[in-house]
Formats: sequence, structure tokens, C-alpha cells
Amino acid sequence: MQTLHVNGYDMAYLEVGEGPPLVCVHGSLCDFRIWSAVLGPLSKHHRVIAVSLRHFFPDRWDGLSDTYSIAQHVDDVIAFIAKLDTRPVDLMGHSRGGHIAFRVAQRRPDLLRELILAEPGGELDATLDPAFRPGPSPLAERIAAAAGKIAAGDVEGGLTLFFDAIEGAGAWGRLPATPKQQLRDNATTLIGQTWDKRPPFSKADAEAIATPTLFIGGANTKGALAQVLHTLAAHVKGARTEMIPGTTHPMFEQAPEKYCEIVLDFLAGA
Amino acid sequence: MQTLRVNGYDMAYLEVGKGPPLVCVHGTLGDFRTWYAVLGPLSRQHRVISVSLRHFFPEHWDGAGSDYLMSQHVADVIAFIEQIAPRPVDLIGHSRGGHIAFRVAQARPDLLRRVVLAEPGGDLDASLAPAAPASGTPSLAVRVAASVKKVASGDIEGALMNFVDAIDGDGAWARLPTAAKQQLRDNIFTLLGQVGEKRRPFARSEAESITTPTLLIGGADTEGTLSLIWRVLAEHIPGAKTAVIPGARHWMFEQAPQEFSKAVLAFLAG
Repeated sequence: MQTLHVNGYDMAYLEVGEGPPLVCVHGSLCDFRIWSAVLGPLSKHHRVIAVSLRHFFPDRWDGLSDTYSIAQHVDDVIAFIAKLDTRPVDLMGHSRGGHIAFRVAQRRPDLLRELILAEPGGELDATLDPAFRPGPSPLAERIAAAAGKIAAGDVEGGLTLFFDAIEGAGAWGRLPATPKQQLRDNATTLIGQTWDKRPPFSKADAEAIATPTLFIGGANTKGALAQVLHTLAAHVKGARTEMIPGTTHPMFEQAPEKYCEIVLDFLAGA
Repeated sequence: MQTLRVNGYDMAYLEVGKGPPLVCVHGTLGDFRTWYAVLGPLSRQHRVISVSLRHFFPEHWDGAGSDYLMSQHVADVIAFIEQIAPRPVDLIGHSRGGHIAFRVAQARPDLLRRVVLAEPGGDLDASLAPAAPASGTPSLAVRVAASVKKVASGDIEGALMNFVDAIDGDGAWARLPTAAKQQLRDNIFTLLGQVGEKRRPFARSEAESITTPTLLIGGADTEGTLSLIWRVLAEHIPGAKTAVIPGARHWMFEQAPQEFSKAVLAFLAG
């Protein structure tokens, strides 16, 4: 694969198409391949650059170093964009990758033209959610248990535990074989996820975003991901929000054409 | 993307992993992404080089021109492998890509170490065809022609459904995940080329002339000519090995990536 050397690490990426650069950042347990469904439509208008974050496939991480964290990944994406031959770029992140993209926009607005946050992951602190209680997230214990199984070599057991905790009993078993395999290829990153150190979003964080921002989500997504999206959108100045009917968290895989139509319209309209 | 210049065309490819090179050739409506589900397992032991044939995505082809030919794609793959080091390489082809891999093995055995044909596509000539026609169902070429008519009239969805259902049975298109559908959609205009591609039927003397160690692999639930061709070829390619993937159909490596990879890796290591 093509790589850029950032902060001592060869960061792999897939680059397709010509036009203004659009850097895409995947979420937990994913890699550059997650954007496959939207690569066609987006690359008709953009130079799509889909990265794999440090320790994700094609890397085969053993889960033993302490170099997996939100802070590291934010540093890496900043260094990656700073090394590109054209700046500013458009930046799109999904889920945990949306969290990273948000943090990049906070720190280095000079690198960015427009920002797309597809159901960014994370928590809201007390300035954004009165119900917020500091401390480990409710899922932390389940993630730690799943990571323990993976560290011990039981990849299937760890992923089953993780998915069933998030999506309900039997969720892993119901996944089609192709996405399952991509998650398996990234299973050890779940070990790093236990020391991710993801700071919660604050009102001041959201108000500080100066980059034109699109929030995009699945209309059927429930719970924290939906709450985070709508709350952040209410506090990021001039943010646009689009919810795609009939879809949930992997909205760009479920409705690639609609997703691309919205994203391309946003990127063209600035 | 990375590209190699072959016969006046920049042929795109994705390269992942280290080890002996394994060149992968997609089939009809596929591209380098066809192999995503097995990229992880295969790249543990091989340098996987997944090509996009001339006019397939990432090119956005309009169907104009007369160089979408079976012979052109065979010449392109040969010219591509000639630029890979070290040689000989391992070569794997799926469906129409399996046909191409067979023709490469016929023309240039010096380039190949081992070859894997995953349900190669094509017709059997009189020297190979069973006495009676396999069934009353129309041949794939007839279904492709019907799909081309639909593309020409702007009915992309109808064209795709007709093609996929012809291969994996009625309702197969509807069951495909949206992301897989989008990848086929990205390549729909290549069907226009396929009508005039001049694919010759397989002959017994051709199969008997293959000297590269060959694995033929198929899905246990594949029906029609695609389930027949590889079994007939296996009877006539000297020393050919076979493998059947339980519970899988024509896109067996997406439906059972672990089982597929295990069979392929065992053959390549053996």
C-alpha cells in the first residue's frame, strides 16, 4: 500500500480519484476498507484518501505497545494532512474517526476546508449533558472483558462479547461474513481501546469549531450516538445536519448513494 | 492508487502484505475491492496484489472504445506480471478473472508458480461439453446481453439484478448487502464492453496443456454452468487439485472468507 511516514510510523492509505482531497478516517475495529461502498461516487469529484490509523490493518498489531490512543491518532492525522501536497483538505470521520476529525478541527483549523462528522463517537461532559457522570463509560467493563479474550487468542469470543454488548444478543452471529472478517483483521485494536483515553466533548469544544461542518447520521440510530450528534450540531456554529432515513450507524454502507449525494452537495456548496 | 503502465494503460492495483507475490484478478463487474474479505488472511503469508483490469473502477468508464476484450485483459495481466519481482508469481482469478488466469497460464507458464481458478467463467467447446445440455436455463452470455440492453436504456438496477440473479439464483441481488451492490454498480458500464469481448470457449487440448500446478475452487451451492466448468477443467488439467467451500456460492470468498483463505493458503504452501 501507499504510506506516509508520520510520527515514526508508516501510515497506510488508499488514494482514488482526482480533485480536491478528501481525507477519510474510519472508526473502531475498521480500516481503510470501510469506505468501499462510497469510494465510487465520492471519487468522481474528489481525490479520496482513506487512511488506516496506527495499528489497524494492514498493520498486524500485537496489542502490546501503549501507542493506541485518541491523542496519538489525532497527532497522526494532523501529521498526515500536514505532509500532503495540497492543503487545506476536506476531512470526514465516522464514529471514533469522527471524534478524531473533531479534535483535528479543534487544534488545526488551518489544515481543513470542510469537516464531515458521521455519527462521531464519544461522551458529552456536564456542560452539554446535565446527566453526565464522570468515570468509566458503561461499556468500559464489557470492552475490557472482550479485549481480555482477544489478548488471550480467542478472537471469535472477544468479538462476540463486544458486539452482543453493543447491538444485543446474537448481533455478531447475524453479521455478514465480509464485515465480520474485516473486524477480525482489526481485533487486537480492541485491546488498545481499553486505554483509549477519549476526553468527553464540552460545550466550549463545540463552540470553538471554526470549520464549516456537516453532521450526518442514520435516522434510526438510537442512544448515545444520536444524542452526541444532535447536541454537538446545536453548538457548532453554522453546522448542517442530515439524517438518512432507514439507516443506522453504518449509514454510508446502508445507503451509499444517498450518503454521497448529501456529502458531495455539502462539499460543493461551500 | 498505485499503477503500473501496461500496453499503454495505467493499470491500478492495491498491494498489501509481504511474502511471495500473489496477483488477484477480479471477475465481471468486480475490481480490486472484490478481494477485500480475504485481504487479511491472504496477506499474512503473501504480498497480495489485487488489480483492477482495464476500464474497471477506479476508472469511470463510459463504455466507449473497442479495447474491452478478453485478449486485451489477458495481455494486460501478462504485461503486469512481467513488471513484478520476484517472478514467477502465484495467480488467482475469480469468474471471468479465472478465465483470464487460465489463458495466462496457457500463454506464459514461465511467469507463474501456481494458479488458483475460483469458478472460472466461459463456455466448454465440443471436446469438453457433456453430451446433453446442462439444463434449459439460458446461458450466462444470454443473461449478460439482456443486462446490457437494460444498461443502454438507463435501467441500471434492472441490469444488475438480472446479472446477479442469473449467477446466484433468483433473489440474490435483493439479498446482497448495499455496499456490495454499490461496488458492482461502480462497474456497470464494463458490461457494455463485455458483449463484444470475444471470449473463446475452453477446449480439452487447452486444459491438457496447462503445466502450472492448479487449484480449482468452487462454492458447494453454486448452480448452473459455473458449477460445472471448473469440475470439467479439473478433470483435464494435469495434476489439478480441487476444493469445495461448503455453504457458499459464486462469490465464495465473500461468503466464507476464512474457509476460502485456508484452502488457498494450503495449496500455495503445499
